[in-house]
Amino acid sequence: MDSLNIPATGRTPGVAFDFAAGHLRLTGESYPDDVAAFFGPVFTALRAWLAEPGDDPITFDMELLYFNSSSAKALMNLFQMLEAAAKAGRPVTINWCHEENDESMRELGEDFSEDLRHVAFSLRNVPAGGIE
Amino acid sequence: MNFNLFAAEEQAIEQARSLGERLNAVAPECAADFEAVIEAFQRSTREQRRLVRVSDRLQAQLGAVNQELERRRQEAEIALARLREAQEAMLQAEKLASLGALVAGVAHEINTPVGIAVSCASHLSDATDRLKRANEGGGLSRGDFARYLATASDTTGLILDNCQRAAQLIAGFKQVAVDRASAERRRVNLGAYIQETLVSLQPKLRPVGHGVSVSCPADLELDSHPGVLSQILANLVMNALTHAFTEGQPGSMTILVETPDADTVRLTFADNGRGMTEEHRARVFEPFFTTRRGQGGSGLGLHIVHNLVVGALKGSIAVDSAVDRGTAFTLLFPRVTPPDEPRGGERTQPT
Ligand SMILES: Nc1ncnc2c1ncn2[C@@H]1O[C@H](COP(=O)(O)OP(=O)(O)O)[C@@H](O)[C@H]1O
Ligand SMILES: [Mg+2]
Repeated sequence: MDSLNIPATGRTPGVAFDFAAGHLRLTGESYPDDVAAFFGPVFTALRAWLAEPGDDPITFDMELLYFNSSSAKALMNLFQMLEAAAKAGRPVTINWCHEENDESMRELGEDFSEDLRHVAFSLRNVPAGGIE
Repeated sequence: MNFNLFAAEEQAIEQARSLGERLNAVAPECAADFEAVIEAFQRSTREQRRLVRVSDRLQAQLGAVNQELERRRQEAEIALARLREAQEAMLQAEKLASLGALVAGVAHEINTPVGIAVSCASHLSDATDRLKRANEGGGLSRGDFARYLATASDTTGLILDNCQRAAQLIAGFKQVAVDRASAERRRVNLGAYIQETLVSLQPKLRPVGHGVSVSCPADLELDSHPGVLSQILANLVMNALTHAFTEGQPGSMTILVETPDADTVRLTFADNGRGMTEEHRARVFEPFFTTRRGQGGSGLGLHIVHNLVVGALKGSIAVDSAVDRGTAFTLLFPRVTPPDEPRGGERTQPT
């Protein structure tokens, strides 16, 4: 399946889903005017890919610096899709990246991992200004 | 236990659990589905908790950003106020410096005729003493007397001429200085006034031999602020001396006055010096633009000139220049300065 690449804008995140390599990334900031319009196609692509047979490992890097509440809900939905795949036996890793001085982002990561039983979840420290 | 934001949700889950037990007894086939509903509700409650946290974090960030913004706004305001004060101080300093230069010019110019008058007077006094002694000794000849008369008429003539010259200079300077200080409005013959202003600049012009030629309709009368005009001319001349001409080399300047129509004056001040690049030309009226920073340049001279032309003379100024082709400033202003517009009032004419 083709990769999904959407360059970041001021309000919407960069999406780099390299399906062939099983490597998914979200970067930048996320507060789209219309969350459904932005995340709709992302979810459709991900759902279609997960529906394909295969059990190669998946890595998801959550590198958002800033996101609004609707984007947070979208993120939780996305995590649940990955959790379902992991439950079905596929190795899934989620890396929650946060700047090293951003304590509250780290705590949010812990909160977000609460409902992940089968996914390997890890918190990643990156130097401030290092996520790009 | 602390106040629990989600007490109601937790209570609902408890109730659902006991309902589940009763349901299990009467309809065991529904138990698994009901368990899934409870599970979904629980997850939804956890997500709600997370969303509240996300939203709190956003609010906190917004608050911090607002505080930072306010702090920077205050800093910027303070910086702006300081800058305004500094600009005001520099404008005053520049004005004083130009008055100072004027006074120095006056002193220097008057020195010559006064010096001549003093030495003539002392010569006459010596001759008078000699004549007196000869007369007292009884040895006064016709020839002595005739020589004395010749000396007396020469020296008194010179004394008179030079004292008149000094008086004239003082009158001219006084007018220029008073005009400069007060920016008062009055009627003035433009050609004569330009000459008076140039006289005060002679000490700067003469040593190197710089020439200023003036061409102005003899009967052109302004009703304007002559002091402002004199400050403008002094600034332009001094700029030509510092920026246009190579040190020690005589340069020439021209002041050309024309009247494109009876009520408009066009004054062009040109030098035949080194000129400027287009990049510099475009910036000369900017405050603090100078190519002589650290060498006595404040970069305010032409900015002040611009403000004076626009503000006091109600005119406009443009500059034309090219490297090695000299520089020309063209001032266009009404012969009779219109009165100030009332402050804050509506404009009657577009500008
Ligand atoms: N007659 C001139 N010939 C060449 N350059 C000039 C002339 N007049 C002004 N300039 C340029 O314009 C700049 C700004 O002039 P001015 O505002 O009077 O500031 P300052 O004389 O303090 O440098 C000068 O530094 C110089 O580079
Ligand atoms: Mg100057």
